[in-house]
Amino acid sequence: MKEKRKLAVFCGLIFLHLVLISIQVPKGGQATYFEKALFTIFSPVGRGAAGVVAKLRSAWSGYIYLRNVELQNQKMRDELFQLRQENLILKHRVLEFQGERYMRELLGTVSRSILAASVIGIDPSQYYKSVILNKGSSDGVKKDMVVLDRHGRLVGRVIDFITPGQSKVQLITDEESGVGVLSAQSRIMGVLGGDAEGRCLFRYVLKTNKDIAPDEDVLTSGFDGIYPAGLPVGRIIAVSEDPSLFKKIVVAPHFDFSDLDRVAVVTADLSDRR
Amino acid sequence: MRKYFEPALGVVLAVGLYAALGKIAPPLILVFNPFSWVVLYFGLTRQELFGALTGSVCGLVQDSLSIGVFGIGGLSKTPMGFACGYISRKINVGPVARNVVFLFILAVAELALWKGLASFLLRLKPTAGLVLLQPAATALVVSALLRLSTKLRREGA
Repeated sequence: MKEKRKLAVFCGLIFLHLVLISIQVPKGGQATYFEKALFTIFSPVGRGAAGVVAKLRSAWSGYIYLRNVELQNQKMRDELFQLRQENLILKHRVLEFQGERYMRELLGTVSRSILAASVIGIDPSQYYKSVILNKGSSDGVKKDMVVLDRHGRLVGRVIDFITPGQSKVQLITDEESGVGVLSAQSRIMGVLGGDAEGRCLFRYVLKTNKDIAPDEDVLTSGFDGIYPAGLPVGRIIAVSEDPSLFKKIVVAPHFDFSDLDRVAVVTADLSDRR
Repeated sequence: MRKYFEPALGVVLAVGLYAALGKIAPPLILVFNPFSWVVLYFGLTRQELFGALTGSVCGLVQDSLSIGVFGIGGLSKTPMGFACGYISRKINVGPVARNVVFLFILAVAELALWKGLASFLLRLKPTAGLVLLQPAATALVVSALLRLSTKLRREGA
């Protein structure tokens, strides 16, 4: 009798999972309330653990392992100097083409619309699919906001998993993501998605197109209505033929998983400023 | 109360450990799956009912932290937890080598089921790589955890 009861509970649990999977079908990938509730309960645990690791790491690099710090400081000071000069020159150059008032407004909007966030969790199934940020709806994070790494390179977009303190980001390396892109030199357009191995595929470029080549940079085109145009995405590392009508173009994303501690969430809609 | 507190604490620890591993180096979460450790540990120590329940909870928590179909993790971890408890009651999996092999087989079956479901429901192509090390790492870690807890209990008694 006891055995039968155990088996019944087991079958009940399997049935529950099948129901949970099937109720997502009409929702078209949207999260259920149950899933959101679990995320809300457990993501702060992850946030705490990630915080402890970050503190330990910072104690190690800030107080114990200080080798090469002076050298790094000098290098960063030089870089900052170069970047300040570049920024000044570029601002002046842009002002020559655009009205000064418009440019000042735009630069003001851009600097106000960057929200710094920390990565507190990585997708447990495949690390290149999604990440969890420590900023949520109470910080002004909304669905489809663009996420960049510390160098301003595209990382992904916020998806509809937003709690007051956390949010989930779909990475451009996820197989199900889609970014409107173009190649920097040959100006060929396509759609970029993940390849399930941590890299991306530049899709829908016809075999007849001979201009696209390795080492070319890939930028956002802005035609998807989510990502603003001109953001650096990655670099083409291989171009080959495959049995379909299209070329197989592999792109290495510019962002680095090991350097994804801090990211920038773009809170303003910059897509209309193309 | 303690009967339920320990598995609940195990789930919370698994979430914390998963987050810590991801923060240290993202590829580590492909090799080490703390959610599977909790399921196998409680499947072996508390038999099939607890194994299945812990499998369901751990799988769903793992799914909620991930993107994709919610329920795949639960659907693959529940049979693993149940089978772990049921089989360990029928055959002796106490000796170290036998224990490791038994846990390895269960972890391989869980990974295969999860990959199969993901390929079927998400139309994703099955991938290899570091994730193939996961069953071996799971078997070794859970076996070590069992030895440690047995030793601690003996010393406590």
